[in-house]
Amino acid sequence: MATESSAYDLEFDPGFESRRLRIVWYAVLAVLLLGGGYAMWLRITRGMASTNLTSTTPWGAWVAFYIYFVGLSAGAFLVSTLANVFGVEGMHRIDRDALFAAIISMVVALLFVWTDLGRMDRMYYPFIWRQFTSPLAWEVHAYVAYIGILVTELYFSMRYDLARIAERGSGLRARLLRLLTLGRTATSESSRETDRTWLKRAGIVGIPLAIFLVHGGTGVLFAVAKARPYWNSGLFPIIFVISAVVSGTALVMALYVLRTRLFDGESVDRDLLERLSKLLAAFVISDVALTTIDMLIALNSLHPHEVETWLIVMFGEMSWSFWWFMVGFGWVFPLVLLSKRSWRRTPGLMVAAGLSVVIGIVAVRFNIVVPPQILPVMEGLPHGSYFPTPVESLTSVGMIAVGLLLYTIGAELLPLTPLDRGDHS
Amino acid sequence: MSSTEERLPSIPDVGSDEFDAMVDAEQTDPREELEKTDYDTELGLAMAEDAKRVSRGELSSDDYWKKYDEVANAEFGEVYRATPNPSIESPDQTISDETAESLGCSVGSMDDVACGLAEGGQEAAGDEAAASDDERWGMVIDLQKCVGCDSCTVACKAENRTPPGVSYNVVMEEEHGEFPNVTRTNLPRPCMQCENPPCVQVCPVSATYKMDDGVVNIDYERCIGCRYCMIACPYGARYFDFGENYEGEVQADGEVTSPEYGVDRGPREDGASPVGNVRKCSFCTHRLERGEEPACVETCVGDARNMGDLDDPDSEVSEMADSTRAFQLKESEGTDPNVYYLK
Repeated sequence: MATESSAYDLEFDPGFESRRLRIVWYAVLAVLLLGGGYAMWLRITRGMASTNLTSTTPWGAWVAFYIYFVGLSAGAFLVSTLANVFGVEGMHRIDRDALFAAIISMVVALLFVWTDLGRMDRMYYPFIWRQFTSPLAWEVHAYVAYIGILVTELYFSMRYDLARIAERGSGLRARLLRLLTLGRTATSESSRETDRTWLKRAGIVGIPLAIFLVHGGTGVLFAVAKARPYWNSGLFPIIFVISAVVSGTALVMALYVLRTRLFDGESVDRDLLERLSKLLAAFVISDVALTTIDMLIALNSLHPHEVETWLIVMFGEMSWSFWWFMVGFGWVFPLVLLSKRSWRRTPGLMVAAGLSVVIGIVAVRFNIVVPPQILPVMEGLPHGSYFPTPVESLTSVGMIAVGLLLYTIGAELLPLTPLDRGDHS
Repeated sequence: MSSTEERLPSIPDVGSDEFDAMVDAEQTDPREELEKTDYDTELGLAMAEDAKRVSRGELSSDDYWKKYDEVANAEFGEVYRATPNPSIESPDQTISDETAESLGCSVGSMDDVACGLAEGGQEAAGDEAAASDDERWGMVIDLQKCVGCDSCTVACKAENRTPPGVSYNVVMEEEHGEFPNVTRTNLPRPCMQCENPPCVQVCPVSATYKMDDGVVNIDYERCIGCRYCMIACPYGARYFDFGENYEGEVQADGEVTSPEYGVDRGPREDGASPVGNVRKCSFCTHRLERGEEPACVETCVGDARNMGDLDDPDSEVSEMADSTRAFQLKESEGTDPNVYYLK
């Protein structure tokens, strides 16, 4: 194995394979960032009046995207643990990619929740004052701990390669990567073993943190709201975790194919692709089943608020987001693509399936957040109606672009693909 | 033109002499009044005469108090020493600090006395130290008396100067039946000031909390505007302040301010709290603190709203809340509101 890996040592050349694609991609990101930046300036100067939120519907697009990105992060992280904790064969190649995507997703999630605060200047208050019974108070701490775990894991996963590149290379990049080793520059096999041990330990701490606190906890945040019966269900946090894993797996699968093709210029490992696509299919089916069970519980309760909220979801003015995006892009379309073995081994189709799920889950998040805030909590109070304003949409696009930019910069600088291509086990 | 010709209609045609005579007829005899008390009548009369001279500017406040401090101390004793002197009430202090220091009576503000009176009911000002503050404020709304005029909503807006989109009180109106057999229920909805408030449970920074008097408070200096409490409130009683204003729509918009929760923030400013915060009814805490009823209670034309201490079993509200007609909104939520309704 040691002789094998040395053959790859000089092959560290991350970044776009095609210069033209690189320029086009950064140009697109620049446009999105400029638009988003302008919208953010409007949001800051005009305050929350720049949104379509009301006192009847106080949470909207920013909250939906916030839970979306927390879910994406938790899902991507859990996929990474398949390799570094559970030692599933052939998954090491996507380990770092998944961890890095998880970190970027958390950054974007926190950007969204920050933008959503009525007083953005008071964002650090939850670290000064707390409320023991508030899930949100717990969440902000869990997010910080979780980001810490993710960064620790990425460090231990990548350090060995960072040290090897820094040792052989020269120039700015080598110096930067040497800095990222935090002084642990040994390239011996024993140092690598130490890294793997600590990587596994961090992962073991991270799994319950991600499942129960970070994303399960975000589900709890909604589930405890007894005033909104649609959310007030014990199944809700579990559905949150499942849909997170769905979106995370889909994202990692799409990223794997895209980065291997566009950055590494290599051919996709079909076995790995099929492993991921089978996982994705299993998760999508679980998500469909649990959502259906939750719907049945709600409808059978005959609780007017629950029944009517489901009717709004399925037949209301925004029902297109349920049928086309949640059911169509999130469930049916990917399941069709995942249904045949030869399709599961076709990278192009799997990118389509992955991106379709990633978009479909956005609708899942919107359909979680908005519908229960349409019906008033008491008869006689005004009904809500919500669609994001251009400011809300553009700031969202801008914040997503920040995530894409950070990811691209990371993919251009860091050895996200293991130098030995991840087949060390 | 003489002034009599400019007289406005409906003003009676009488001169100032007639008015003075009317006042004199109504006035009580000072000597007679003072003799009813246990204290020195002559001293009282002398102090009153000199007080008039002070108000005419013939005597300085400093001299007045220098002259009477010792005798008053001897005559009234503890009551004199424990009562704040109105002349030393800041910021309108009328005597010099030096004189104030030398006086035997306690130096404090008259506001303290007023608050003591409000909290202690009918007790004398001298006993304000003993005043209790263990009320649990509660409201009882008699739906049979509510005519659905919405004047509580208007009074609340006028009192609390709430911006557009923020209405601490609303009246939910519901019609039942088919014409001509219709009835209408009007259900006024302030904040319920729940005993177990879900909003307090979820606030990540403890910016909203239950006070000893039963009122759920919001600390605008701490609220981060996450709106989780609005999600948690089963009564829709919380409103987000989007920073809008009634520009040119109401008189003195943005100038008259309301000391919500006892804090006067001055004129409304862009980006300054409570803009970007969540707001709600405070039972007019600032009015309760000075012994007044909330604006909605005071204004109610049908006398449907009642305010009082639910911890006092003999209070009117306690008796009403105990009646068989009484109910709370969404009792199954377990929030135990301090607002009761009478069927």
